[in-house]
Amino acid sequence: MATKTLRDKYCIVGVGETEYSRGSGRTTRAMAVEAVRKAILDAGLRASDVDGMLDYQGGDSTFAPHVAPDLGIRLNFYMDVVGGGSSTEALVGLAMGAIETGMCNTVAIYRSMNGYSEFRIGGTGARAAQPVRGMDLAQVPFGMRSAGQTFAFTFMRHMHEYGTTSEQVAHVKVAHSKHASQNPKAVQKERVTVQDVVGSRWIVKPLHLLDCCLETDNATCLIVTSAERARDLRARPIYVMGVAGRVSKPRVDFHWAHGPISRVAGYYAKDIVFGQAGIRPEDVHVTGSYDAFTFTTMLQLEEYGFCKKGEGGAYVSSGIIELGGKRPNNTSGGHLCEGYTHGMSMVIENVRQLRGTVDDTCPGAAEGKHTHDYSVGKCRQVKDAEITMNLGWAMPATGSALIMRR
Amino acid sequence: MADYAKPLPEITAESKPFWDACARHELLVQKCRACGTVQYYPRGVCAACWSADVEWTPSAGRGRVYTFTVTYRTQARGFRDELPYVLAWIELEEGVQVMSNIVAVDPAKVAVGLPVRVTFDDVKEGFSIPKFTAA
Repeated sequence: MATKTLRDKYCIVGVGETEYSRGSGRTTRAMAVEAVRKAILDAGLRASDVDGMLDYQGGDSTFAPHVAPDLGIRLNFYMDVVGGGSSTEALVGLAMGAIETGMCNTVAIYRSMNGYSEFRIGGTGARAAQPVRGMDLAQVPFGMRSAGQTFAFTFMRHMHEYGTTSEQVAHVKVAHSKHASQNPKAVQKERVTVQDVVGSRWIVKPLHLLDCCLETDNATCLIVTSAERARDLRARPIYVMGVAGRVSKPRVDFHWAHGPISRVAGYYAKDIVFGQAGIRPEDVHVTGSYDAFTFTTMLQLEEYGFCKKGEGGAYVSSGIIELGGKRPNNTSGGHLCEGYTHGMSMVIENVRQLRGTVDDTCPGAAEGKHTHDYSVGKCRQVKDAEITMNLGWAMPATGSALIMRR
Repeated sequence: MADYAKPLPEITAESKPFWDACARHELLVQKCRACGTVQYYPRGVCAACWSADVEWTPSAGRGRVYTFTVTYRTQARGFRDELPYVLAWIELEEGVQVMSNIVAVDPAKVAVGLPVRVTFDDVKEGFSIPKFTAA
């Protein structure tokens, strides 16, 4: 069956973000307003040009009806969506759909979270007061509350079935820390070694401290509009070639029982997104594979076909995913080093890669002049990046994907 | 027993027979009368054929560790005093997987494939939680 596609008909025309910090001292409302304002200005638009708004959250943020008024935006369409990781790519698709139907013309998508100072993963801070519901019989009475506890079963089984090692996936942190050392915004800029990762303390075995991402306070925003509208805007238009949103395994809960457990949602998403884009994995120059943990990056790169199933450990430890390698992943440092934003920062980074204007320390970065010297504190622009792919992760059973080109 | 600090499940219409059986130290799974599929955890229908004619059937309570993790850091109430602890998916002989803790086994000795059997933790009057230990 031929894949329906809106390839090249919609663009990301603006990106914006606040500081990545561990203690913003601000409300998610104030941060969201800043990120949306910056994205609108980045696009060269005015408040009256934006008439759609989408955001995602898990009871930890501010809804669109409180953000739009602060910016003087009158909306023809908005929706507040429940979700974390994998939402960014899915909402780009929803924004395209909303514009395609004629409901609105230009959509701002934001995520605003005090992920360190207010709502922490695993039930600390404000989240500790939330009631215990849902998979009660299966999880909570046994002491399972965090993402690490939920996801790591899949990694443990991957190690058992394919011989994948902690040292192999530690290379994901090593690569992303290399990238973050070129990123003035990153929360953690120090380069680390494989020994640093496997020598750090256990959090949830088989995950060490440095296998886990950095809880962060931050807001991010993308502006989506039609390719036609994008042509006369300020920034170079970045075209959406394909998008897949929250594609799931046969069961979202108890996915292991309808496995295989080491299979993740990309197995189902890849045909949709590559089919729309009309390309293959080898055509992608830069990936943004969700790094809630080192191994989530590995599992997704493998499932989307950047290497064979079971060879993800070898792939991520080969140097391919580092700046200077064949297909760098998370050139900003990603969630492991730049900061945790539930996926949107990795899409922002890829937009900048495609524009050629990554915000590293190269003197001519803003004008797209880069040295491509990847030594400490220097460049992080990939030379001639034409196609990028984001692999969004909600959990092993659910994921999203987005292919963009310049 | 009186000062049990860990969270207890919210008992629903679908899960009540399961917890009632646990209190008697019996582990139940659901079996579809229409197509024979065995499922865990409790649902209102058979997820394989949509039949509502689902019955409760006893499990032998024996199986093997399919996968597991060892938690060293948690904020979960009642659990932070017992670190490290093992969370595991156990594949029962009946062919379904259940989530539980592996107890009374050194976490360093837990491995994929370890044979285990059910044991019940009597947490309060009329309430027991199924856990697993080395068979």
